[in-house]
Amino acid sequence: MTATLACTGLSKRFGDVLAVQDVGFAIAPGEAYGLLGPNGAGKTTTISMLVGLLKPATGNVTVCGTDLAAEPLAAKAKIGYVPQEIALYPELTGRENLRFFGRLFGLPRRELAARIDEVLDLVGLSDRADGKLGTYSGGMKRRINIGAALLHRPEVLILDEPTVGVDPQSRKAILDGVERLVADGMALLYTSHYMEEVERVCDRVGIIDHGRIVAEGTRHELVAMVGSADTIELMLDGDVDGAFDKLQALEGVVEAVRTGTGSVRLLAEGGRYVLPAIITAVDGRATVTAVEVIEPDLEATFLHLTGSKLRD
Amino acid sequence: MRPQEAARIRIRPRPILALVAANLRRLSRDKVGLFFMVIMPFVNIVFVGMALGGGAVGAAKLPVGVVADGSDPVSAAVLKELRAHPDLAITTVATKQDLQSGVREGSLAAGLVIPAGSTRLELVMTQMNGSGMAARSAVDVAVGRVAAVLEATRAVEAAGATPAQAAARVREAQAGSGRVAVVGSGTPGATPRGFAYTAPANLLLFTFINSMAVAAALAESRRLGMLQRAITAPVRRRSVLAGEALSRFVVAVAQSLLIMVVSSLVFGVSWGDPLGVAAVVGSFSLVATGAAILVGTLVRSPAQAPAIGPPLGIVLGMLGGCLWPRESAGDFLNSIGYLFPHAWGMDALLALTKPGTGLGTVLPEVAVLSGMAAALLGLSLFLFNRRTRTFT
Repeated sequence: MTATLACTGLSKRFGDVLAVQDVGFAIAPGEAYGLLGPNGAGKTTTISMLVGLLKPATGNVTVCGTDLAAEPLAAKAKIGYVPQEIALYPELTGRENLRFFGRLFGLPRRELAARIDEVLDLVGLSDRADGKLGTYSGGMKRRINIGAALLHRPEVLILDEPTVGVDPQSRKAILDGVERLVADGMALLYTSHYMEEVERVCDRVGIIDHGRIVAEGTRHELVAMVGSADTIELMLDGDVDGAFDKLQALEGVVEAVRTGTGSVRLLAEGGRYVLPAIITAVDGRATVTAVEVIEPDLEATFLHLTGSKLRD
Repeated sequence: MRPQEAARIRIRPRPILALVAANLRRLSRDKVGLFFMVIMPFVNIVFVGMALGGGAVGAAKLPVGVVADGSDPVSAAVLKELRAHPDLAITTVATKQDLQSGVREGSLAAGLVIPAGSTRLELVMTQMNGSGMAARSAVDVAVGRVAAVLEATRAVEAAGATPAQAAARVREAQAGSGRVAVVGSGTPGATPRGFAYTAPANLLLFTFINSMAVAAALAESRRLGMLQRAITAPVRRRSVLAGEALSRFVVAVAQSLLIMVVSSLVFGVSWGDPLGVAAVVGSFSLVATGAAILVGTLVRSPAQAPAIGPPLGIVLGMLGGCLWPRESAGDFLNSIGYLFPHAWGMDALLALTKPGTGLGTVLPEVAVLSGMAAALLGLSLFLFNRRTRTFT
């Protein structure tokens, strides 16, 4: 089956910085794909290449088999792109903003009016459609921002951090709407700083770091990469070197890494049960000033693969 | 919402018109911007026009000054006819110099010098505004009536009638033409005064300034990410550029049309040959469009555009004679003015108010303005295109 959105070997350099290197993935119809990465990992650059804003140095993008470089207009007509920022005219009403984007996508006047009503209903803003965007809350603006990308019934929806700065009610409305679109067969590329959103919405996840996809798979596949071990983050004060040597040799500890002057990360089977032994092992050499046990989940996998938390 | 339905949608990109419509709608919601487009130019035209002597234009009677050196029958007859004319308000002026000064300043629509014992009258007017032309027409009628009487009387006396008999005969048949010559004497270097001057001056001034001000909207579109997002639609980049440029051009032309129509209807300003005016206004609007895109592209934030553009527009307006008549400034400043579009625009628009002028008269000015427009538009669109290519 032809992937709705596929990219292979994408690279982009800004001066001396290789922002994206050899990125590739494919999204099937009705599949939700999450792109996770810390700030500066290359997510936005990758998306910019996928939607035709940036020309890749190498690699290619196809949308439903249409090559973006060879037939940009035909390929872009199948993409619905929701940028991270709220790209709407504040002086216009929600309806007028939607009309503008519908006309950009060439929708005939009569069909456009009907589509605007459908989209307003979908994003739950039919009753506020004729208010100026400047009077909307952040969440309402986000919803119109998404609606503008749905008017032309795209094959693939690309959402770049769609819930930044929104209230819980709007976040729920956005996620519910996105899930309905995917259930209806739309392909989805989703980036977010909120791990729980990615875990809820996405079927597969690609983790990008330093411009490369470092892991890809379903949630279960990714979690399995770090095994069943818990991640234990320790902050130590005192003889950290001596304490670290003891911790490395401790039974049950699979891996120990110095992550800072006084910080140590351990990978341990049954982390909560090992915790008393850890405290005892460092006793006399160092004092444990803080401890965090992270059970195996996508966050832990992300931390394991990138060395940083998603919201760092 | 099923994506399979997408195939049925006929993609007909109309990005240029969509951008123009959105930008005009945004402008229509900008109350401050509308004040400067719709109200401010006319405030300027009225107050500066009155200061320059244009307040009388459009009044019921045209002020005409008369220098009458003697009290001979011809002078008395001409004065009587002029005073009897329903459209003229006659003021006696001491000297020809005072008369010229009054016409130059706009307090008089025209003037007439009636030398003692002579039938050769001298008309003083600028011929550059509607009131001057109307005054000339009325003076011609009055003088023509006196000339006809004189000629007829002379003819009847030559036929052997006594003066009393001749007068009676002439009263019976006051018709025919005379040899009283009316010679025009334009005030040296005169330019129109009053509204005839301030209307074109403010057209250029506000078309440029308001174009500069709407450059902020372009910078705002960039800041909002609207331009970037538009380019992710099935739209060619050049269509987005064209849409943004056309939006600014439409605003500039609309500003010009508004000033022309209102000043014609309310202040009686005569703009001259429509084709010539269209060429001047069109080319000047293109210059303003190029300048607006250039400023909108170069500024880093929307707040910078109104801080840079309008002051620049005012300075160029000063140098180009849009704030005060250019003869008030020195030759040096006037020479500098010709480096910028306003001076060329003023020359062209003022020239077109003279009778018998047209597009051919102002072709050099239109050519210069078109050259400036091409250079500015070329540079601004190049920079705008380059900037939109580096969106990340």
